[in-house]
Amino acid sequence: MRRVLVVEDSVSARAFVRAVLEGPEFAGAAGGCEVLEAQSGFDAMRLLPRGPYDLIITDINMADINGLELIRFIRRSAHHGRTPLLIISSLRAEVDIERGLSLGANGFLGKPFTPEQLRVECERLIQEAIGGEAPPTDRQRPGGGP
Amino acid sequence: MAEGSGGRGEGTDKARDEFFSEAQELVDGLGRDLLALDQGLKKNQFDPELINDVFRGVHTLKGLSGLFGATRMSGLSHQLEDALDDLRLGRVELTGAVLDLLFQAVSLYTRLLVAEKGETGEPAQEVEELLVALGQVSGQKPGGPNTTVAQYDLDPGLFGVLTEYEEHRLRTTIQQGLNLYRIRVRFSLTTIDSALDELKATVRPHGEIITYLPTGAGADPETIELEILMASAGALALLRTVIVGANVTVEDVPRRTSASNRPSLLAPSPAEARVPEEFGGAGPAGGGARGGGRDGHGGEQRSAGGGSGGGHGGHAGGGAESEPSPPRSIAARPGPAAARGPARGSTTADLSLRSISQTVRVDIRKLDRLMTVVGELAIVKTAIARLTERARGRTTGPREIAIELQRLNRAFERGLAQMQGGILEVRMVPLGQAFDKLARIVRQISREHGKEVHLVVTGAETEIDKLIVEELSDPLMHMIRNAIDHGIEAREDRLRVGKPPVGTIALNAFQKGNHVVLEIEDDGAGMDSKAIIAAAIRRGMVSEEESRGLTPRETFAFVFVPGFTTKAVATDLSGRGVGLDVVKTNIAKLGGVVDIASEVGIGTKMTITLPITLAIINVLLVEICSRLFAVPLANVDEAIALDESQVRSIESREVLSVRGVSLPICRLERLFSLSRERRSNRAFVVIAQVADRRLGLVVDELVGQQDIVIKPLGKSLETVRGFSGATELGDQRVALIFDVAGLIEEVLSPGENRFLSPSPQTQDGFYDGRRKAESRVG
Amino acid sequence: MATSAKTRVERRAARRSGDAGRRTEYLAFGLAGETFAVQIAHVAEILKPPPVTEVPRAPRNVLGVISVRGKLVTVLDLRRRFRLPESAFDRRTRILLADAGTGEQIGLLVDEVMQVWRLAADEIEPAHVLGGDQPAHIAGVGRPAEAGGDTLILIDLRPILGTT
Repeated sequence: MRRVLVVEDSVSARAFVRAVLEGPEFAGAAGGCEVLEAQSGFDAMRLLPRGPYDLIITDINMADINGLELIRFIRRSAHHGRTPLLIISSLRAEVDIERGLSLGANGFLGKPFTPEQLRVECERLIQEAIGGEAPPTDRQRPGGGP
Repeated sequence: MAEGSGGRGEGTDKARDEFFSEAQELVDGLGRDLLALDQGLKKNQFDPELINDVFRGVHTLKGLSGLFGATRMSGLSHQLEDALDDLRLGRVELTGAVLDLLFQAVSLYTRLLVAEKGETGEPAQEVEELLVALGQVSGQKPGGPNTTVAQYDLDPGLFGVLTEYEEHRLRTTIQQGLNLYRIRVRFSLTTIDSALDELKATVRPHGEIITYLPTGAGADPETIELEILMASAGALALLRTVIVGANVTVEDVPRRTSASNRPSLLAPSPAEARVPEEFGGAGPAGGGARGGGRDGHGGEQRSAGGGSGGGHGGHAGGGAESEPSPPRSIAARPGPAAARGPARGSTTADLSLRSISQTVRVDIRKLDRLMTVVGELAIVKTAIARLTERARGRTTGPREIAIELQRLNRAFERGLAQMQGGILEVRMVPLGQAFDKLARIVRQISREHGKEVHLVVTGAETEIDKLIVEELSDPLMHMIRNAIDHGIEAREDRLRVGKPPVGTIALNAFQKGNHVVLEIEDDGAGMDSKAIIAAAIRRGMVSEEESRGLTPRETFAFVFVPGFTTKAVATDLSGRGVGLDVVKTNIAKLGGVVDIASEVGIGTKMTITLPITLAIINVLLVEICSRLFAVPLANVDEAIALDESQVRSIESREVLSVRGVSLPICRLERLFSLSRERRSNRAFVVIAQVADRRLGLVVDELVGQQDIVIKPLGKSLETVRGFSGATELGDQRVALIFDVAGLIEEVLSPGENRFLSPSPQTQDGFYDGRRKAESRVG
Repeated sequence: MATSAKTRVERRAARRSGDAGRRTEYLAFGLAGETFAVQIAHVAEILKPPPVTEVPRAPRNVLGVISVRGKLVTVLDLRRRFRLPESAFDRRTRILLADAGTGEQIGLLVDEVMQVWRLAADEIEPAHVLGGDQPAHIAGVGRPAEAGGDTLILIDLRPILGTT
């Protein structure tokens, strides 16, 4: 059973991510996937103590606490310092994505993405974490993303 | 795993539904923000947070439309996002022309959403044209980073967590000479959302919040400490008196050197403005002293800051006023269609304001109250079950059972009434939802016509059934378009006749009993009743002789007749009637009526009267030839016994004299060709009234009043006239509900206006107390 | 007669051998002494008639409206529709709730509901066996092998529901 925290201020984008992660292709092999939704940075902070999570997915452009601040907060916390972190953000926000990666996010997906891209990326990050591998060094430059 | 192969499809469908309602909400939000920007622009104010909100809205729409495969919408969002990014990062100046494009985008979004639902084709051409226009908006990338920020003693890690936009705002505010403050505040995680909203409201009048940083301090998982970076022109002392609280501290963000604190060194040349890092070597004690010193000189600081801003003209910084090249002002290049007068129909005429979302957002407390009622009803149910047991066991006599049943019935009725009231309440939404969109339309149309129009709205909080609000948007839009198009005169014309140069359209809403009244009033040219009468005579709608007896209201009602135009007579009235027949039909479908009053040179007022809800109405049940029918009580003036001796025949129509006034009557038995089993020796007249037209409906019996739920008749019966629906009465019996307005129109055929209400009319001819305004012309 | 008996035996054999998949289920009902049948797939429900409310100025074939679990349903009098003499309700009178295809459910008033027949393709004859010009709603004639020579007039509901 996997647990994923999705931080995203759009309700339908959250619903999309949930549908993909709860679908059989992703959840099936892992014995199910529990998706927790946070609609803001604060919401995420409320949900963080309910971890551990196998993966945290976050948007960057959010009101109040932005995704970068959240990433820094997560990386500084005792419990989630090593949780795989995936940024989902518009590709145009190159600077923001670059900063997110510097703050310790493990990967990013530019919106829009397909269900398949999301599955593959989530799977990759979770596997890396299980395998104890170091975070990817071949960080894609935002401009060269999918 | 439980998930079958259908699981994902279902999930994605649900996500898609969410997409439509979220996208609609975002688009509505964009419209509101743009209006606020437009208001600001008129006062020469610019709220960076608003433009950032618009950017974020479009940004979210782009992401969503991409995820859900709405390609054209995604493309539009992409281009729009570029333009908005330029605007919010200060690369392009916000002008009326740019706002025009943004407003156009909002209406295109709505149409694209409808198209995405498969209901219409995509407005491909309009989108393409807008994309081209937007393409011309984008500005240039700013020059190198402005290092004036370095003068502040900020955590070097800070820039790592600022988004590009936040960084831009930080630079801009520093450039404008504002002071930076750090607010430390501790919130409980459970109440942070409301507490933060409060704090924002407090801070807003005094400056701009750049970012919120969770400090991660404190082991308590239930609270969170935030460091809020804020820019303000105010002094620390002032902020400290404003921003107060047990867990709040406000601090100055100290500047690194005293040198950089002097405006003369801040700006004069790029080289000097870039304060070298080594200048920041001042010790902490010195910083504190400077901070204290600055407190006393807030005013000085501000004026110095203003001066430095002015001196920045040639400086290659990053702020709005000091771009390497000044922000490009978009030359008046309005939307593609806007420039072409005759083609204006393509922008607003086929536009629909109807929202595609069918959701109602409900305050959870309303649902809680309903839940309480459900609980009470459950208690009644249990009591009935227990009573049934007792009755079966014959331990209780019939009399006790009757008493107990009566008690339960009362409790049940009470619960039902609360339930009914609660559900109606949930369906109610403020009319403001429709008005927001109208304000957008006013702006758009008035710009297209080059007329200045001021929209004054009152009563936006008036609540009405969600369904009615949705159906109301389009008719209201048509009426407003008409008012701008044909009502409000050109500026010069207005000045010539001594009117204020800017026209006013007043949109007033208020509740009146079980109805909501909406008025659309303009101070324009008004309608010429002589021209209308002439046109009506020409079209044979009324004889010259008859026309002399027409009241103003009857006269203006002609403009609701399909295809009616006065074009041949007066050019200023041309097209006035176009679309108004549709308006009238749509309003009638909602059980409402439209009335017009107008005076040449003064203006025109259209009044719509609508029921508050379509769901539940109070009816008078009547019996005709042993059949039950329902008359909406809203349309019933009174019911009297029929005195056959007072009935006369005038020109093949029966007229009853009621207290000296003639009332046309209709024997429904004959109109409906009902067969009678036994003769009835008495009859009643239900005096039905819609606006000021009255008709006596002759019935056998008055059965009583009842609250009923209207059900539509099936498609197979949609051609049958005279009924607006039917209702189930209990015992599976069904009663048909009269469409009173339809019956009156059918019986009192056009041109037969002599049976109007005898009651005196008020000056403006709209209301005489209890009546609903309306005009009907067949 | 020998051939007819033989055919019947063959048909029964054919049914037993399991080509039931090609059979269509029809609901037979009586109307003025004749037996009609409609595809059961088009019938959502069979109702004992609740009180029917007459709708003044409705098309002639419309008997009225009824309420089925809170929804209004228009009821057609099939006797009027087929130009058969009208009769009063009795205890066998039923209303068939049929899907009109327009999203609307229509009630069809019949004298009685009889039984369900499962007809194979070769038990259905085209409408023209009844002679030249048949109305559009007559889809054919069913001659169930087991009915002992009785025939069913097969009704296509579309033209009926389309033109009330």
